[in-house]
Amino acid sequence: MSRSDAGAEGGGDADQVPSIARRVVSPFVDRSVAERLLISVAAILLSIVVGFVIVLVSGRIAQCSTAAWTMPLTGIGFCYDPVEVYLVLFNGALGYPFAVGEPGLFNPNWTPFNLSLGLTLSETTLLIFTGLSVAVAFRAGLFNIGTQGQLVVGALATALTVLAAAPFLPEGPVAGVVLIVVGTLAGAAGGGFWGAIPGALKAYADANEVITTIMLNFIAANIAYVLVLEVFRAEGSSVVATQYVPEHAQYLPWVFPESSDFALLALLVGLGFIVGLYYLVEHTSFGYDLRTSGVQAAAAEYGGVNAKATTVRAMTLSGAIGGVGGSVWVLMSEGRWMASVPALGFDGITVSILAGNNPLGVLPAAFLFGLLKGGALEIGFRTDVPTQLVGVLRGLIILFVAMPEFFRMAGRYVGVGSTGPGGPGGSASTSEGTDDEATAVGGGEADA
Amino acid sequence: MNPAVHMDGITKRFPGVVANDDVDLAVERGSVHALLGENGAGKTTLMNVLYGLYEPTEGTVFLDGEPQSFDSPRDAIDAGVGMIHQHFMLVDPMTVWENVVLGNEPKTWGGLRVDEDAAREAVVDLSERYGFDVDPDARIEDVSVGVQQRVEILKALYRGADVLILDEPTAVLTPQEVEDLYDVFEELTDQGKTIIFISHKLGEALSAADDITVLRDGVNVGTVATDGVTREELAEMMVGREVLMDPATTPQEPGDRVLEATDVHAEDDRGVEAVSGISFEIRAGEVFGIAGVDGNGQSQLVEAITGMREPTDGSISYLGEPMAGESRREHIDRGMAFIPEDRQERGLVMSYDLTENGILGSQHDPPFASGGRLDWRASREHAESVIEQYDVRPPNADAEAESLSGGNQQKFIVGREFERDPDLVVAMHPTRGVDIGSTEFLHDRLLELRAEGKAVLLVSSKLDEVQGLSDRLAVIHEGEFTGVVDPGTVTEEEIGLLMAGEALDDDSVEGAAVHDAATDPADDGGDGGVDA
Repeated sequence: MSRSDAGAEGGGDADQVPSIARRVVSPFVDRSVAERLLISVAAILLSIVVGFVIVLVSGRIAQCSTAAWTMPLTGIGFCYDPVEVYLVLFNGALGYPFAVGEPGLFNPNWTPFNLSLGLTLSETTLLIFTGLSVAVAFRAGLFNIGTQGQLVVGALATALTVLAAAPFLPEGPVAGVVLIVVGTLAGAAGGGFWGAIPGALKAYADANEVITTIMLNFIAANIAYVLVLEVFRAEGSSVVATQYVPEHAQYLPWVFPESSDFALLALLVGLGFIVGLYYLVEHTSFGYDLRTSGVQAAAAEYGGVNAKATTVRAMTLSGAIGGVGGSVWVLMSEGRWMASVPALGFDGITVSILAGNNPLGVLPAAFLFGLLKGGALEIGFRTDVPTQLVGVLRGLIILFVAMPEFFRMAGRYVGVGSTGPGGPGGSASTSEGTDDEATAVGGGEADA
Repeated sequence: MNPAVHMDGITKRFPGVVANDDVDLAVERGSVHALLGENGAGKTTLMNVLYGLYEPTEGTVFLDGEPQSFDSPRDAIDAGVGMIHQHFMLVDPMTVWENVVLGNEPKTWGGLRVDEDAAREAVVDLSERYGFDVDPDARIEDVSVGVQQRVEILKALYRGADVLILDEPTAVLTPQEVEDLYDVFEELTDQGKTIIFISHKLGEALSAADDITVLRDGVNVGTVATDGVTREELAEMMVGREVLMDPATTPQEPGDRVLEATDVHAEDDRGVEAVSGISFEIRAGEVFGIAGVDGNGQSQLVEAITGMREPTDGSISYLGEPMAGESRREHIDRGMAFIPEDRQERGLVMSYDLTENGILGSQHDPPFASGGRLDWRASREHAESVIEQYDVRPPNADAEAESLSGGNQQKFIVGREFERDPDLVVAMHPTRGVDIGSTEFLHDRLLELRAEGKAVLLVSSKLDEVQGLSDRLAVIHEGEFTGVVDPGTVTEEEIGLLMAGEALDDDSVEGAAVHDAATDPADDGGDGGVDA
């Protein structure tokens, strides 16, 4: 976010001293970005530590014939070995690049294009889209809880469009490219439409988007279910699902095993979205309007930003990205629309918060959750530990990340939080006279 | 005899800053002492030390010769020090007497029940003893700001204060209320109370205080008796150099009509009518001032003119084009500059650096944007040029707005708005909370714009400011102009009456009305001799 050129000269009067430290740092990292990064890393470490204890304790409660780990000196045995759990979790999610039970650090038989890594990256790809969807809305100061519904609608639009268009095109790579592009656009349109509704309700009817997006999630899921059940259900299917889209209209797995449901091309599309959204937010007039609305709505209005239009646009964009996530889910993972849509949209909220709502941060955040997904499967295969424990670990990370950041954001959202520059007692006073003095003198000390 | 308050060698350091540097202050019992200085001079910090909010890094506070060590305001209150903050801490729906005793209620039933009769009685006694004209049963939300201030003083007295500290007590008062406050000071000091008030206004220090201590950059520049000092000497002590007290306006022929408002009505955020039929016009090369106590519809009128709020009725035309109902964007694009009253809410995005703030309002316009893309290089150059021309400190385009002092934030906003090359500048409280040096600079820039033939709408609650700068001066009260007067001849008392909603006698109102309607309003306007 900081576009600072290398040289930040600082003339030093006494009244500028409080900002000197910040000015020294600001050319390299934006303070708030650094702070968020710190929160995220600390949360991950803390959850690993707490998870360690939980694995131990549950290993004490569980019944087993031989202890997986015995505490030195005391001789108390535990059924689960926390170190092993973490090794399997992270090593396994990557397909065991590190050797297990063999000499040497690396596993000589490892190739990057293995099933586990494919599963991890598949989840990562999907979460990139939903994470970006939530992040864009957050940056505009909007709480889009409705990415899930936008993804459901986008996915259905993609599946139906591709199924409808496929018969008109001869099978082949050209048709495949055309169908994927058309299907993606249909997903964006469907999701965008579903996002525009709460945006317009917010802008023109003063309806809180948190409520409307949650409700629209239910409406989307149930309408889609009934539509597919009654109209578009594949003949003879035992589940509520559409027909499979033709093989050539799906993302090709290329180098990864087909059963991993992962396509490198889809990940590249996701990376493209990350870069594109970063550019949009930081380097365009629209992004400026959007960010300014998010951090200080009154200033945005003063600066000529049309608050209503920006709300609708931001929600439409957010929904469209969620819709593209839905199209990837159909064209990469499932090959069809089916009623049991995973909770990718809700995980997107977590990814976005972990990423500090920064499009560039979405990549590592989505990858971390991809690792936990891939690792959870390995835990199930390789250990006696119930995979639910991985869910607990996941939950802990979410909990710890969400605590500082979520509360701060929620505070800003309801308008009670301090937006002050931090420091003990940095009050968010808007008073003028004495406040100016206190700020100039005390560097953010609470004024009288 | 020992002075009532003696602060000896007070030094207060914050991380990286010395707010008070070896400050001595002695205040005699029964006197009014003004603590004068620019914003950031360390006045409030010094008083916070006396009130126990801050512990001094070095130095000692003596009351009546006894050394004191305050850990909290509670200790200070127990020792007889009371402080009245700029922003009152009163419970609006409660009555005057309830507010006074709140937290120190007399109890009966073994402490279980508030003894309401005794409490009310005590407040009435106190109020009578000091000659306060306060109805003990009135609700705070129904009484004027001046009365609310007296309730705050009563609160301090009720808690046994002998030394009263008032932080910028006149900031929210009408001229008449200020006079009443000075009477209250007199009554209190007659009965042996000691008053210290913080101010950055020379005039009020001179008229209300017995002694004046001037702080500059955290240092005591000197303590002088009010009788033996002039405005100019005080200003020089505050700023550290000679200051021209009155902006020099020169008569000037106004040009074409730039803004015309006809019968404008507007509502506030609650839907209550705040502007009730205001009409005026501003010509090129003219400063039109609006004076009034805050909250009389100035904000809504300015918002209607600048496109922040849609007027409910009436018409506004700008450069001959109807503007009412046009978007804020349209107002900016047509060359209207706006210095808003709340710089930290609207004027600047506090978490953005100055480069980003420099394009607020121009984020869609060349040279900062083309084809929807922002040119950060051009934006940075623009911010750096504003910083240089308007002497914004620290001179760093990467500094976040929130890290700047209020005066520097304001200079940056003014610079950004003036550099738009506007036809009309709407300036609302442009120097509120700004120190004398910067105020002088901003006034000069406003008059330069006037000389360049721009139209200026100046809204301020500072009388000397609107009176000194305006060619014509309107006074607003409860959403209506109570008069449009010639600032060169009107007296402060007359403006005060208009601000309080009272019409002047027929002669002067008539004169003003005729003057307003005249096609050439600058006949006699603008020599600006003001002796505020």
